[in-house]
Amino acid sequence: MIVGQRKPLAEIKEMVKNHKKILILGCGTCVAVCMAGGEKEVELLASQLRIARKLEGNPVEVLEDTVTRQCDREYMEPILEKARGCDAVISMACGVGVQLLSDLIEEIPVYPALNTRFIGTNEREGVWLERCMMCGNCILGQTGGICPIAICAKGLVNGPCGGTNKGKCEVSNDKDCAWTLIYRRLEKQGKLDNIRQIFPPKRFGLHVNPITQVNEAYQHAQKEEAHHG
Amino acid sequence: MKKLLEEAGIEPDRIKMYNIGASDAPLFAKAANEMTEVARKLGPNPLKKEKRA
Repeated sequence: MIVGQRKPLAEIKEMVKNHKKILILGCGTCVAVCMAGGEKEVELLASQLRIARKLEGNPVEVLEDTVTRQCDREYMEPILEKARGCDAVISMACGVGVQLLSDLIEEIPVYPALNTRFIGTNEREGVWLERCMMCGNCILGQTGGICPIAICAKGLVNGPCGGTNKGKCEVSNDKDCAWTLIYRRLEKQGKLDNIRQIFPPKRFGLHVNPITQVNEAYQHAQKEEAHHG
Repeated sequence: MKKLLEEAGIEPDRIKMYNIGASDAPLFAKAANEMTEVARKLGPNPLKKEKRA
């Protein structure tokens, strides 16, 4: 999932200081699961903002809503009317949700309440770990399902390096050595020979912003349908 | 909750959670007195000052 972290209230308050009627819009998918931008967090931020602005003698009307996914147009349509009735919207989605909402209601400013940090897993209660750097050229099949780009501090595709330290990384004893993890996993799978394979340098050129992706089969089917329909 | 209140500008001491059994009336009374003292020291809720004036 996409992991986000809420910005401090002071930063959010500063962004919207000149607005009198604000919609705070949560997202019910990734950022709700990582307890940063779901329905509950919308209520908390709304209460904080109302209290803080009232104390400053600059009261604000705050509306609250949460959609299933802010990154999909069809989920956004039902709240656009409400958003257009406000001076500004604070989006508690990841950066994708903020941008789509801004595209849909261009004349109304949209402010981010979160810092979008990474895509990862929930390791235990309240702890998330980055797992994928979206490099566009996945080698997990050869590395025992453990990503050296995301987990190794150096992002080495051929490891371990000289800084591996009894399963930990030279950068910090809190960080696991990705290549030790990979070695142990491959050992369990009887595939230690994979370690001998030399991977070519990562093709970071695949990640040229912004990336677009087209499902050609879907587009073809749509065209066929239009042609026969 | 204390952190959230503090961030918004409300004294965090205004809220405290007690875990008291239904049969522990003396503990409840003690907690109520304690919170009353805290509220007296802090003064009126700053959000309601306007109304009082």
